[in-house]
Amino acid sequence: MLLHEKSRSSSARIAAQVVERPRLERHSDGSLVAWQGGEATPVRPVRCFPWSRPGAYISLRDERQREVALIHDPAELDPGSRAALEQAMAEAGFVLQVLRVVEVDEELEIRTWKVETRQGARTFQTARDEWPRPLPGGGFLVRDVAGDLYLIPANGELDARSQRALWAFID
Amino acid sequence: MSTRARQRDREIIDRYTDQPSRLPAPLRAEIEHSFGDRPVELYCHIDLDASLNLAESWLALGPERVAIATRAPGGGWDIAHIERSRIREVRENSGLSCHVLSLLGLAGDPPLAVVRYTHRQRRAADAIRFVLQQSLAERDVPVGDGDDEYADAVAGPIREAQALVAGTDTAIILRLLGYLRPYRRQLAVGMSAAAAVTGLSLIPAYLAGYLIDRVVGRAQSGAIARDAAAQIALVCVGAIATAYALRSLFTWVRLRFMAYIGEYVARDLRTAIYEHLQLLSLSFFSRKKTGSLITRVTSDTDRLWEFLAFGIVDVSLSAVMLIGLGTVLISVDWRLGLVMTLPVPLLCAFIFLHGRRLEAFFLRAWRRWSRLTDVVSDTIPGIRVVKAFNQEDSERRRFAERNLAAMSQFNEIHQVWTRFWPALMLGIHCLTVAVWVLALPRLIGASAPQLSAGAFVSFLLYSTMFVGPIEVIGQMARVMNRATSSAHRIFEVLDTEPEVVDRAEPVRPASLDGRVTFDDVWFGYDVARPVIRAMSFDVAPGEMVGLVGASGGGKTTIANLIARFYDPVAGAVRIDGVDLRELDTGWYRRRVGMVLQEPYLFHGTIADNIRYGLPEASLDQVIGAARTANAHDFVCRLSHGYETIVGERGQTLSGGERQRISIARALLHDPRILILDEATSSVDTETERRIEEAMHRLIAGRTVFAIAHRLSTLRRANRLFVIEEGRISESGTHGALMANPESTYRRLVELQRELRQAV
Repeated sequence: MLLHEKSRSSSARIAAQVVERPRLERHSDGSLVAWQGGEATPVRPVRCFPWSRPGAYISLRDERQREVALIHDPAELDPGSRAALEQAMAEAGFVLQVLRVVEVDEELEIRTWKVETRQGARTFQTARDEWPRPLPGGGFLVRDVAGDLYLIPANGELDARSQRALWAFID
Repeated sequence: MSTRARQRDREIIDRYTDQPSRLPAPLRAEIEHSFGDRPVELYCHIDLDASLNLAESWLALGPERVAIATRAPGGGWDIAHIERSRIREVRENSGLSCHVLSLLGLAGDPPLAVVRYTHRQRRAADAIRFVLQQSLAERDVPVGDGDDEYADAVAGPIREAQALVAGTDTAIILRLLGYLRPYRRQLAVGMSAAAAVTGLSLIPAYLAGYLIDRVVGRAQSGAIARDAAAQIALVCVGAIATAYALRSLFTWVRLRFMAYIGEYVARDLRTAIYEHLQLLSLSFFSRKKTGSLITRVTSDTDRLWEFLAFGIVDVSLSAVMLIGLGTVLISVDWRLGLVMTLPVPLLCAFIFLHGRRLEAFFLRAWRRWSRLTDVVSDTIPGIRVVKAFNQEDSERRRFAERNLAAMSQFNEIHQVWTRFWPALMLGIHCLTVAVWVLALPRLIGASAPQLSAGAFVSFLLYSTMFVGPIEVIGQMARVMNRATSSAHRIFEVLDTEPEVVDRAEPVRPASLDGRVTFDDVWFGYDVARPVIRAMSFDVAPGEMVGLVGASGGGKTTIANLIARFYDPVAGAVRIDGVDLRELDTGWYRRRVGMVLQEPYLFHGTIADNIRYGLPEASLDQVIGAARTANAHDFVCRLSHGYETIVGERGQTLSGGERQRISIARALLHDPRILILDEATSSVDTETERRIEEAMHRLIAGRTVFAIAHRLSTLRRANRLFVIEEGRISESGTHGALMANPESTYRRLVELQRELRQAV
């Protein structure tokens, strides 16, 4: 089989798994509900590519982690559904956004970061072999020992002191 | 939780986070007052507000109410209450770094409360969610001390990531030095020899000055006869030679004694840490990476050897040497002495700052180095995939790119230090030049006071001795840092208390029949996620019970509780009616056997592995056990027979062969209670048949708990327990369970049958 034929047939098989576009509602308790064929399912949005395509490929998953729908692009949804999805995504995709790095202190087996984030000042720890991960769109992501994520802008967007504090950790 | 552990958790929160280490006392009093003087049972910090900004709020759980305290605009707290009786549902949604906990009332009503928090607060919030959910299901769960639960939940991830022991770095070093106490005599010899080396080092320079001024100079001027001068010179040279010889002798004594002492202490630490590791509970090993523990026993103790053998002596004697040299130089000529000694602290500071600066460079290099080693550790084990997908070129490129990045960073380091040391030497040489400039007019008599050539030569010789101690003192901070970090890691293990401990006078019955009873047992590795929930059963001696159910249901945890790898959180595991916590663990474990899915064989001969639990077993017994386990034939086919060395984890044998050796090991151990955890899951049908035959002989007359996904292997079980979400959802014989059309067991059997037919 020629390569492009093979690729077309596998795309067709993959496309066949995509679920029909749902109607979405956000309830007063903050939950997101997907309506499909007259049936309502509480869902949780999961970004398939949270860093390279945060606004596209959103998988809606039910309480048992089964996929209810895959939204390729929220623009395909009706305006009400899109607004509901965006609100739910704000919480689901929330990460702390670092504005300034005050200090990075090396200790025995952990590294303590003092940062100012868009959400307020925060001190957190990372394992010493946990390095900031470069993101496709620029910037870096750090995960602390509790699992919280911190988004650090690209080096050029930070003040000189932050750049000095970060010098050893990013290229 | 011990007082020390509780205190340590609070210290961690205070030191490493921006949040309080407990619910503030005035707020707690206010909440408890509003609860009608009922206590706060559990609480958690709510660190995000509705707009997802960092904030300080608290969620507190009482027996009848839940309170949410938020900071009031003018200071103080706004406290909102929810009656627990109004809560109909508790829901949690998790995002990347934000969890949303909703307390819901009647369907269609707005939520009673919605709080948001980061991962850091999740464990504490989970405990509250779990208690509320259980209470909705009308199940009581044991609630521990609220302060301890909160401190453990918040400090846990930091504690697990870092070796933390109570005390300052100085206390750690003092504790480490305490290990020298048994060797104080050798230490005294080593230190005295080191002091003698330092003292003797000063003699040749002094004698050189004496020779020039009092002998050579006077002989040349005719003040003393040449013969007399030659005699005195001979004595002086002899004294210099003796000083050098003694210095070498004492250096040997110092090196030998201190190296030996270092080894003794390193051995003591290795023994202490290894013996303590054997006592620790499985939960400790699941929290710490194996690599990290191995490093503590090997590299960290080795690093401490270096510190104890040389670091302490080098640092203390360098300090003595610097003070001694400074005193001698000033006493020889105070003007020149001050020129040489005053800049010394500055030079030490430069070396220290240089070390600090290099740390950042090393960190950067370490990061790039790990990126490089990541490629190797990724592709070598996965080489078949690389080749199958024809990705050799791209992997080569990936490696070359990272290799270049690592090399350029190392070259930057070389650039920094290669610039620094010559510059430092230049600084020291500048001091020497300054000494010459100041000394020359006085040497040739152009200005007063006069300086003798001998005194100046002594001075020059002494000043060359400055370099070594300055370097050692400058590096002192780094040496101490490395030693304290290793000591921390070792002491963390030594300070960890085993969770499973025997009572002061444990029970050791005359015999063990093998009755196993679970009496309302609760257990969880994490407070909010119980793995075993209110489980009760009674298994008679000699009975075989099959544990079946989906993965994660709690089957292996039941086995771990029977083996007393853990103690239940609530309820009791009884053996022959005695609470397992009352029994002597060593006595009990000698009567319990386990055959695991991945049989672990130690490096050694097959015979050693078979008699691992009974080292005194005779060769006849070894062969007998191997025969019963269907292992004898394949062992005899190996060229070294029972003396074949099996590699790490027994890699030289097939899965089925390793399993049969582990069955022989269990047979020889002759346990009353036997646990078979997926013992036949990873072998082919023929091997399975052989293993089953062996297993059949193994289980005869013992109480057996067998866990198996392949349900056909449980045909011989007297009873089957279906385990779902930590409970026994069904129990009975194979026939009884199959007769029930609604039974989960029947559905599982049919599914497996269909699967086999499909294959």
